[in-house]
Amino acid sequence: MTAGPKAEQVADWAHTPERSNMFLLRVMVWISLRLGRRAGRVVLHGIAAYFLLFAPASRRASEHYLRRVFDRAPGWRDQYRHFFTFAATIHDRIYLVNRRFDLFEFEVHGEDALRRLLAGGKGLFLMGAHLGSFEVIRAIGWKYADLRVAMVMHQGNAQKIIATLAAINPQATQDIIGMGHVDSMLRVRERLDEGSVVGMLADRTPGGEALHPVRVLGGDTNLPIGPFRMAALLQRPVVFMTGLYLGGNRYSVHFEPLADFSAVARDQRDAAVEAAVVRYAALLDQYCRRAPYNWFNFFDFWPSANVEGKPAP
Amino acid sequence: MQNIQKPVVSSSSAELQREVAELLIECLNLEIAVDQIDPDAPLYGEGLGLDSIDVLEVALVVSKRYGMQLRADSADNQHTFSSLRSLSDHIAAQRTR
Repeated sequence: MTAGPKAEQVADWAHTPERSNMFLLRVMVWISLRLGRRAGRVVLHGIAAYFLLFAPASRRASEHYLRRVFDRAPGWRDQYRHFFTFAATIHDRIYLVNRRFDLFEFEVHGEDALRRLLAGGKGLFLMGAHLGSFEVIRAIGWKYADLRVAMVMHQGNAQKIIATLAAINPQATQDIIGMGHVDSMLRVRERLDEGSVVGMLADRTPGGEALHPVRVLGGDTNLPIGPFRMAALLQRPVVFMTGLYLGGNRYSVHFEPLADFSAVARDQRDAAVEAAVVRYAALLDQYCRRAPYNWFNFFDFWPSANVEGKPAP
Repeated sequence: MQNIQKPVVSSSSAELQREVAELLIECLNLEIAVDQIDPDAPLYGEGLGLDSIDVLEVALVVSKRYGMQLRADSADNQHTFSSLRSLSDHIAAQRTR
């Protein structure tokens, strides 16, 4: 039974959201770079309407999520706004990758804590989620010339994203480390040793990974422990990050210290990793409530056939 | 000459292989016995079923224990971690303690 929900979750996200994500991105790159952000945004309404009408699986996932976060049945306007927010953040990635930071207003919270942890010079992990825009880290990184960011992602996604980024801005691709190579982790370690920030989205799994049961928005689900195991092994601090889209050209960027594995001994590692996953889930919960339309996991994040009462293996 | 040398080399490499297998089992909490690891089965993915984080853990433990550096830009990594035998051979060649 434990393999069931795991496999289903994988199939769901691996097939729908990233594909539409990539398609959207290609269309939007074309329009946006030729006609500008305002013109591009007109198209976003078409995209939101398209999702609402012709993407029943995404619509069901959106409805399920909104029902949880609002504690009421969402109307079509809520769902429209949800899809619009998703499309808007993808659209803005084009400008962020092209370093058009002048187009946006960023309100940054928790920057001091981030700076303090970075002062050690040994790098840190930045754990994001499919919540808001992680791409805004480019704007933060640019603001401080000394902050270097490398993104870790699953190999399949990495290849697609590298291809798309290359189309937008060829210089943007060198920051991506694809997982799945024997030496992926050694590359991560080298980046950290240079003092870089290593970013990852820790709310999805490519499958076959160990999961830990958590509660998010009052529902049971499982999150991968891999990202936190990596941080624990490499004994680095972990900071949660999200760039919430507030409408117009405004983003609020949040950094929250999540865990610090710098001094965690080996026999305490597993417990520390589990505590970090639970804290990560609590942060997802907190920021979903704060900016509800920013949740971009358009698949069943709360598998109905849950492993109720059964701890993860 | 060769007849004498060969058994010596293979018995010490078998010993190292056993030691590395024990190290793998200990650091990854694998629930198998040393003899159950096929020295030629892939460590990564299929076979022993290690993921890349397991491989990182192995790399960290191995480099500490045998005083050697594993570098990301080394073209040999894929080969080094392809099986218990190749990992042991790599250690035998690179170890400083």
